[in-house]
Amino acid sequence: MKTTLRVSFAATVLVAMTGCAAPGFLDLRAPVAVSGNADAGAQKAAVCTACHGPNGVSPIPTFPNIAGQKADYLYWQLVEFQRKVKPDSPMTAIVAGLSDTDLRDLAAHFAAQTPAPASGDANAFADGARLYREGDPARGFVPCQGCHGANADGNVGGGEARYRAYPSLRGQHSPYLVQRLQDFRNDKYALSSNDHIMHGVTQALDDQAIAQVAGWLQAAPP
Amino acid sequence: MKMLRQCATLLLCGALLGIALAPAHAQQTREEMARNLPASGLSSDELKSTQVNLIAAPGFAKAHVATNPGAPNATPVGEKTCIGCHQLEADHFTHTLHALGLHTANKADASIPVCEACHGPGSAHAQAPLTRGLIIGYTKNSGTPIDVQTKTCLTCHQGGPRDHWTGSVHQRNGLSCSDCHNPMSNFSTEGLMAKQSINDTCAQCHQDVRMQFNRRSHMPLPEGQMSCDDCHNPHGSLTNPLLKTNSVNETCYQCHAEKRGPFVFEHAPVRESCLNCHTPHGSNQNTLLVAPIPFLCQQCHVNQRHPNDLQTAQSLRSGAHPDERIMGRGCITCHANIHGSNAPSGAKFHE
Amino acid sequence: MRTLRSFRLLPLVVAIGSTYALADTGVGVDTWRGNKLDPTAGAQGQIPDERGTNWLVEGQRRSPTGNLYMCPADAPDVDTFGRWVGYGSVQIGGIAAGGDKNNALWNRYADWDSGLILGLLDYTWQRPDDGAYANVRASRISEDDQYYQAVFGRAGAYKVQAFVRDMPNILTSTARPIWNGVGTNNLTLPSSLTPGGSTIAQVAAVSAATPERTLSVKRDKQGLSYSTFLTPEWTAYANVTDEERKGARPYGGPFFFAFAFAGAPFFTDTGGVNETVKPINDSTISVNVGLRYAGPVWRMDIGYQGSFYRDANTRYTFQSPFTLSTPLIPGAVSAPLYQGQMSTEPDNNYHNLQMTLTRKIAFDGEVSLSAAAGRMTQNDRLIAPIDCQGVFGIGLGGSLALGPQNPFLYSCNDWNTTAALSRQNADMRIDTSMFDARMTLHPVADVTLRGGFKFDRQDYRNVYMMYNPLTGQYGYVSENGSQGSIVPGEVGIVDPLNNTGAPVRISSLPLDIQTIDANIGADWRFTDKNTLGATFDFNRYEPTHRERQQIDDSSLKLTWVNRSLDWLTLRINYTYLTQSGDRYNYNPYGFTFSYSLPGYAGPEPPSHTVDAMRKYDMSSRDENKLDVMATIMPRDDMTISASLRGDRNSYDAQIGRQNYDTYSATLQWEWQPAASTSINAFAAIDRSRLKLANVQDQQNGAGTDPTLGGPNYAYNGMWWLRDHQRDWYGGLTLNHVWRKIKFDAGWNYIYSRGTDNYRYAGSSALAYPATAPNTGPGSGAFPAMVYRVNSFAVGATVPLSPRISLRVFDQYERGHVSDWHYLGFDAGYVVGNRVYTDGGPVSYHANLVGVLLNVKL
Repeated sequence: MKTTLRVSFAATVLVAMTGCAAPGFLDLRAPVAVSGNADAGAQKAAVCTACHGPNGVSPIPTFPNIAGQKADYLYWQLVEFQRKVKPDSPMTAIVAGLSDTDLRDLAAHFAAQTPAPASGDANAFADGARLYREGDPARGFVPCQGCHGANADGNVGGGEARYRAYPSLRGQHSPYLVQRLQDFRNDKYALSSNDHIMHGVTQALDDQAIAQVAGWLQAAPP
Repeated sequence: MKMLRQCATLLLCGALLGIALAPAHAQQTREEMARNLPASGLSSDELKSTQVNLIAAPGFAKAHVATNPGAPNATPVGEKTCIGCHQLEADHFTHTLHALGLHTANKADASIPVCEACHGPGSAHAQAPLTRGLIIGYTKNSGTPIDVQTKTCLTCHQGGPRDHWTGSVHQRNGLSCSDCHNPMSNFSTEGLMAKQSINDTCAQCHQDVRMQFNRRSHMPLPEGQMSCDDCHNPHGSLTNPLLKTNSVNETCYQCHAEKRGPFVFEHAPVRESCLNCHTPHGSNQNTLLVAPIPFLCQQCHVNQRHPNDLQTAQSLRSGAHPDERIMGRGCITCHANIHGSNAPSGAKFHE
Repeated sequence: MRTLRSFRLLPLVVAIGSTYALADTGVGVDTWRGNKLDPTAGAQGQIPDERGTNWLVEGQRRSPTGNLYMCPADAPDVDTFGRWVGYGSVQIGGIAAGGDKNNALWNRYADWDSGLILGLLDYTWQRPDDGAYANVRASRISEDDQYYQAVFGRAGAYKVQAFVRDMPNILTSTARPIWNGVGTNNLTLPSSLTPGGSTIAQVAAVSAATPERTLSVKRDKQGLSYSTFLTPEWTAYANVTDEERKGARPYGGPFFFAFAFAGAPFFTDTGGVNETVKPINDSTISVNVGLRYAGPVWRMDIGYQGSFYRDANTRYTFQSPFTLSTPLIPGAVSAPLYQGQMSTEPDNNYHNLQMTLTRKIAFDGEVSLSAAAGRMTQNDRLIAPIDCQGVFGIGLGGSLALGPQNPFLYSCNDWNTTAALSRQNADMRIDTSMFDARMTLHPVADVTLRGGFKFDRQDYRNVYMMYNPLTGQYGYVSENGSQGSIVPGEVGIVDPLNNTGAPVRISSLPLDIQTIDANIGADWRFTDKNTLGATFDFNRYEPTHRERQQIDDSSLKLTWVNRSLDWLTLRINYTYLTQSGDRYNYNPYGFTFSYSLPGYAGPEPPSHTVDAMRKYDMSSRDENKLDVMATIMPRDDMTISASLRGDRNSYDAQIGRQNYDTYSATLQWEWQPAASTSINAFAAIDRSRLKLANVQDQQNGAGTDPTLGGPNYAYNGMWWLRDHQRDWYGGLTLNHVWRKIKFDAGWNYIYSRGTDNYRYAGSSALAYPATAPNTGPGSGAFPAMVYRVNSFAVGATVPLSPRISLRVFDQYERGHVSDWHYLGFDAGYVVGNRVYTDGGPVSYHANLVGVLLNVKL
């Protein structure tokens, strides 16, 4: 009993000294607006274009289109990569040496590019459309449009700060979306408050539902 | 008896401490808990796997999806859908008595909702969470009118102590149940209050009254030994100001039964109202008196001879002519049984 | 009848097996159990969840009024035991008090002994399968300051709760009782004093040699409650509690005036004044049972409340040390009296049955009818009029032999048994009845109409006649016989031949009361964010045997609730009340006095009081009351609450209370910059001003003219007093979690200052006119009455492991008190032929330090 207490006391001192707040947690519940220099970003974008295409439209479907994406979202994603949200991602190494200004400029640059055109047959993804718009109470799935907008362009919010960091999904590569949703569901992408929301939201989705939603988004909803 | 109680206490503490210091067993982390959050109850698969042969407790048997006039076309979505976005709320809510009852009832009868019993059907809100009023909200700017909020709570909680909510001073001043209660987590150990205790909750608006309890003599409220609700029913009552019983005196007698009598010899203002001489919350005088003795008594007692004399500081123990009518207990040094006397010679409360 | 001691065990038996209380806001007390260490009974020790309330929105939402909600606590870690889950914690450790740790003000309703304490035990079990739950909660600060409670039930089905709670009430820490037997019903003098024969110096010596001690009353309460849903609509409840009070408190003990003879050294042997010690040893059993129905249209609530009070004592006796030997007749002697008695509160029973029926009606309305009938009875065996042997009264010519030659001398045997009473038992009873009807309607959506009527009545049954069948006389024995042993004819016994002095009481005073109240009102929500309300109320109060038989008050109350600004909720209530009544009879009590006896042939009785006297509960009065409450939201994480209240009462009284005004202003500031941080600060002031007038009689108690300005109540005997109370309050609370270490700090401040200023028309208003500089008007003031407390608390809770944390705290308090009632008592508690027990409240500084181990169970 005495020993236990003594050990506990020693432990305390250690804990108190090192601290134990969640490392790297990113609170995006009320982010300040991100601004950057798009022109400067264009100068720094060379490293991005290899994977994400010269204008931010990625030629490889497992890499996301970033053209026309919301600057705030892009910036916070880069910050997450800097905080090693997914250590095995190539992005982790790429962003490691960038300054905060670099991140802002890059975000501004790609946000200013023309978004990717739709591709695919939206009619093949009727279930995805329903899940996106109405959710599925039977499986406990919440409609995506509440946060990502009726047109999946992320333009909702009526000025509420938190919506700044909610991405546009319209025309995004389906394979990328599938990977991303699976990561959320499996808690492999969990750093920001928004990641925690997505983790909760995706619990109700099986792979088939994920494919449907992702396919429908790539086909660019009306 | 004392020893028995002490032993029982020590035993209990010892046993519990033992448990605490033993290696943790089967303890769930918060994350594990979150993963085991309740099912929506709306999926047939889940129903099959978790259904228990149980009848919902009568208090929850008639719980149903609340009516939200702000979203007439909305349909229920089930708890799991709500938790999709509201994970933290679920984490905190799960340990409340409401959650325990609703979850159990929902397991027994899938038509009994959990979140939507209070918040109304969720489909419209889920699709347009920024449009106010699509979900029954209990917060400022939720878009749900106060009377819809209170009516929703009263669906289950009507009657009994809340029988006279309508027309009560709190209802008339536009209070909502959620001004005092926050059932989303155990903020208080009892009563699902919005603050840490009943007293702290009342003090949100009644800080002036709360302050009176800091005075020299007071009811044992700052010491946590009683609550505002011991005397008042904030939900409405038949007696002003929201007293729990039919009169001021009846309220006081609940703890001061010895003052009830009726005595052989009564003191008229005492029988009429304790508040003729005492303040209910706190006073700078001894024993919650309204004014210092003898002046308290001299508001009424002119009479003849000794009651109507004006005393000065010279009548104090430190003065030139100390006088028992003002020193120490003053008048009640002799008229001690001032609340009433049962002595045949106690007509003047001397005995 | 004493409470069954074993009943105290019951709750603990139940406990071997909390947080969901009986807490019925409709019935009974016992809604909360906590202590000064943690008035929130556990909530204040919770660590806020650093993740916040919600992943979507930062910070806290606000209540509809606009107050910020708190950040929820970390969800507990749950253990699984088969079908049960459980969680909770225990906090044990030590506290040490220093400084003036025995001070009564520091120990107000707390008993902070140094030593081991159980800060809190709180454990909850839940069985998700069926909603069953159980909880135990306990705290033990010391023997006199502890509580234990256990609850089990099934959510929505039933709940059983048991508790034990011991609460101290320290009344004084400066008591020097000279008597043996403190706490018993028999106070005797130590052998160094002679009952009825000690000198002032002897009494003073004993008092000075008596060590200071504490007098307190401890309340031990235990209760058991059960509530259940019979069906979704029908519920039932039953609560039983038993409370025992034990201890002793300073009390009175008259053996005739001392003041009247001050300065006349040959009269120091005229009895005296004793501040005795009253034993408290009683119990109260309270019972509440009820049945409730709440359906879609009808509601019903029927309940019974019973209370049964039992006092172990009927009276206590005390020995007066002072000499009683010299009456106001030259050459005569007083009977050697020394034994005093004080009746204690009689046993009483109370029953009340109440029923409410409510029905929803058209126009979204509701009509509710309530009726109640109650009875309180008291039938204690009465005590004898006097506790003496031999004779009492005055022996003329130095002889204490009974006989016609000694008309002021009485035989104890005629008065010292209950055979001297008109009846043996009190046989008192009050029947109460109440009827209430109220209705609300919403003729259109935004308009509420309200109306109500209430009838309330107390019927006082039985009158006690002060008649001695042994002697055939009316009356009683005043002040343990001492008054009649000093002043001839003032023994209290009606004697047409010898007693031509003051009128004598011959009967008790029944106080029947009837009240009717009617009100009508409307509320109109004229915009979405604005509501106006008006209520008119008429109240008729009809007491019997009081100065007025009918007192009417009418009031108009206006309410405005405004939320039209996003950052402000404003509530304003204003009430105007005017009270008047029928003719004011300054002496309605004549029928209880000897001069109302048939055949009374004495002199015209002196007037009962001055005719211009208006007792404040009976007086005509105007009241203006304003109440403004504002909740201000300057930022998302901040709330400012402000209130302003004023209540002015103006009484139509030349003599009596003339004004009573109270005002208060409060300001609270709350800031929650993060889930881990909250700051609260407040400041408040309040004031009260009471103004009264009185008049000194000028004819030595014999005046028969009640007129103010007449020969007895002459204008130059008038005096006025203004009591002014001012309070300043301030406080600050900080809570911050840094790296899982919780810091808390608090400061609480009150400064009260009460002043009493008087003025008088002439020196004859004064108790001691000779001390005035002249016979004309004058004024003066009492020393300020001051109470000032500064209380500081700091604490830190440091996690030692995921399950164990250490709490260290310190509370320092400095209190200053000055009450002029006790000015000079440090020079001794014996002042002439007066002996005091209580030295009054004293200033203090004290510190409490504690180290507590919190263990998650």
